[in-house]
Amino acid sequence: MSDAKTHSIDISAMQRSQKALRIEDEKVCLSVNDLHLYYGDKEALKGVNMVIPEKKVTAFIGPSGCGKSTLLRCFNRMNDLVDTCRITGEINLHNENIYAKGTDVAELRRRVGMVFQKPNPFPKSIYENVAYGLRIQGINKKRLLDETVEWALRSAALWDEVKDRLHESALGMSGGQQQRLVIARTVAVKPEVLLLDEPASALDPISTLKIEELIHELKNEFTIAIVTHNMQQAARVSDYTAFMYLGDLVEFGDTNTLFTNPDKQQTEDYITGRYG
Amino acid sequence: MKMKKKSVSEWVKAGDPWVWLNAGAVAISVIMVIGLLLLIAVRGLGHFWPADVVEANYALPGQPAYNIVAERVESVEVPAAQLREAGIDIPDEHQLMQRTLMKTGNRDVYGSDFRWVLDEYLTDIKRPEMLFTAERYEWGNLYGYLQAVKENGQVVSETADLEPTASALATWQVFEKSIERAAKIHEDIYKVEKKDIGRINYGLERIRLKQRSLELEGKLTPAAEADLAAERSQYDEEYKGLQQSLIDLYGEINRDSVVVKVMDGSIHEIPVAKIVHAYRANAMGVPEKIGFYFVKLWEFLTDEPREANTEGGVFPAIFGTVMMVLLMTILVTPFGVVAAVYLREYASQGWVTRIIRIAVNNLAGVPSIVYGVFGLGFFVYFLGSGIDQAFFPEALPSPTFGTGGLMWASVTLALLTLPVVIVATEEGLARIPRNVREGSLALGATKAETLWRVVLPMASPAIMTGVILAVARAAGEVAPLMLVGVVKLAPSLPLDGNYPYIHLDQKFMHLGFHIYDVGFQSPNVEAARPLVYATALLLVIVIALLNLSAVTIRNHLREKYKSLEM
Repeated sequence: MSDAKTHSIDISAMQRSQKALRIEDEKVCLSVNDLHLYYGDKEALKGVNMVIPEKKVTAFIGPSGCGKSTLLRCFNRMNDLVDTCRITGEINLHNENIYAKGTDVAELRRRVGMVFQKPNPFPKSIYENVAYGLRIQGINKKRLLDETVEWALRSAALWDEVKDRLHESALGMSGGQQQRLVIARTVAVKPEVLLLDEPASALDPISTLKIEELIHELKNEFTIAIVTHNMQQAARVSDYTAFMYLGDLVEFGDTNTLFTNPDKQQTEDYITGRYG
Repeated sequence: MKMKKKSVSEWVKAGDPWVWLNAGAVAISVIMVIGLLLLIAVRGLGHFWPADVVEANYALPGQPAYNIVAERVESVEVPAAQLREAGIDIPDEHQLMQRTLMKTGNRDVYGSDFRWVLDEYLTDIKRPEMLFTAERYEWGNLYGYLQAVKENGQVVSETADLEPTASALATWQVFEKSIERAAKIHEDIYKVEKKDIGRINYGLERIRLKQRSLELEGKLTPAAEADLAAERSQYDEEYKGLQQSLIDLYGEINRDSVVVKVMDGSIHEIPVAKIVHAYRANAMGVPEKIGFYFVKLWEFLTDEPREANTEGGVFPAIFGTVMMVLLMTILVTPFGVVAAVYLREYASQGWVTRIIRIAVNNLAGVPSIVYGVFGLGFFVYFLGSGIDQAFFPEALPSPTFGTGGLMWASVTLALLTLPVVIVATEEGLARIPRNVREGSLALGATKAETLWRVVLPMASPAIMTGVILAVARAAGEVAPLMLVGVVKLAPSLPLDGNYPYIHLDQKFMHLGFHIYDVGFQSPNVEAARPLVYATALLLVIVIALLNLSAVTIRNHLREKYKSLEM
């Protein structure tokens, strides 16, 4: 299922989202205007223009080093942590430029949550992991915390598995559970956008499936952007797909069209496995 | 299969010599450490054993014979020629002779408590059961036979027997009871003198300082003066009462005395108040001796020193050492962690940071006495006198913080151990996986919040490692302390019941300095030597315990923040 080596497209998954989607009809959550990103002298993103539609899943695919993760990390300014990184152009979150001067980066990151490739729970209890973001905001009322933690864990389909051991260390969980815990932790602060950076690449097939189901659930409430190496996964979970190659956004469109009838030859070559 | 004989070159090629070399080095290190501990343990712990007291006739050739009553301390072989040169007439057939150091005690009678004897000329060696040892508050041990016990100068029990006859044992029992009684009164006197009178003195001193400070501020009105005088007279009243009860107690304690016959046959009368313990080692069985051993050991750990530190216990030194190390830890940990966080997390990693880091590392190599000189010059003379002028002008010219004390010693050692904590913390911070920091930042935490809530807790085992190294270094350090606050005998502990309870300005005792003082500054070297070993062993144990507790905390933290490797 998560075997990226067989490049056949999972048709049944495709049929799930048969209804034709048109990007023009969507509400815009994030829009990217002529975004260039440099690591020192190297240009990693070469003028990206796109929109991320609201309450839909947008997948980024492309070969390693194409800039998809870099682009994702621009959405919550995670690249600020890299000393040599320089950015031009703009990204608007609901028509507000997040790279404008005076942007509260911490607040931006609360609004645009991110889940990383490797599960990274804090060395605290399950409960405290989920409550972390709330405590950061100064919320310490036990009742409110309890409610939010339960809601977040239910949202991440983890509640039933951990409700009896909320106060045990999160490090004792399995990898898949940890990743869902991280999703719950991110969801708990009620962000507008969820950025998922290859969330299932370190997990076994069953955990991967669970994460994918979860993404399907979560898109009712959140705008989701997911980076994945795995084209089947992109096809299964996303509404829109962006194909990137060497820092360029080659093609962006609804997932059905992109996988079945791509505009560009490069895209077709990639999804049919001719290179990448 | 035929075993092929390995050639030497093959053996070298296989790397075996290196394995042997490494194993040998490890073995030698282990043996040296164990040997060191064993040596100080045997020499130190033997001191508390109630050794048998022998009585013998000692007659060097050509000299008058005399009676000797003593404990054996140690024996050495000496060439006979050397003894002949010293003027002792030794027959020619002897090449080597056994010479023994005997502790004869009774320094007040003979002038010294040790003498060397040649075993060859000791005859008629006995271990009489009625021979007793008395440890005294002054003049060291006394060895002799009990002759009589007196109350107010009147004989209440006496015996002429040197054998355990009924009358001798009865007198002994009266003596034991009398010691017990004296010990109780002694305790009461101690309480009154140290606690109650100490408190009054402290109060009077405070009143004096208050008066002086009002005087300096020009606010000493007659009303205030009257208030202070009233307070003072209240203390004086209290003092008078205590003084009367002290006089009574001293009268009580000096009631009894004993008559003792010592080895040269002379008779001495000694007040019972001067005796700490008395025991007849020769009459004690092994279980009794073991019990007595632990009593002595306990006394060593919990009592105050007597007789220029050569007898009694070392409690103030243990207390001072532990307290100083704890204070040092409290000071060095936050400073070190804050410095490391800045260097690793906030400072831009340019050449300035690199130079600072090199400087920090080099600070660890500066000899400790240099820190002592710095502490004296900067902390004591500069900061201390500044503090005195600003906050304690009433006490001048006698210094409060302008002289060495617990605080300056701790601060100096904190400075000395700062590099260790900084380096260990930096390494710990560097090891925290990036993705955990990002996880926190991605939830809307600022860098400071991430540091405080995630990174520092995860780095805490590394911080503790730094603290462990700091404690290990600081607890054994003596040289700088001699300049900034350690004394050979502190009148009181730096922690007591008088406000403000912790006296950071007070001088204190330290085990390391105690070893130096007892071993090399003592007027009675022979008597002090076993205590040097015992104190050294204790210092090692105290440091080991301090380290062990830090290691326990670290392991606990490690378990809690177990690695996130997946």
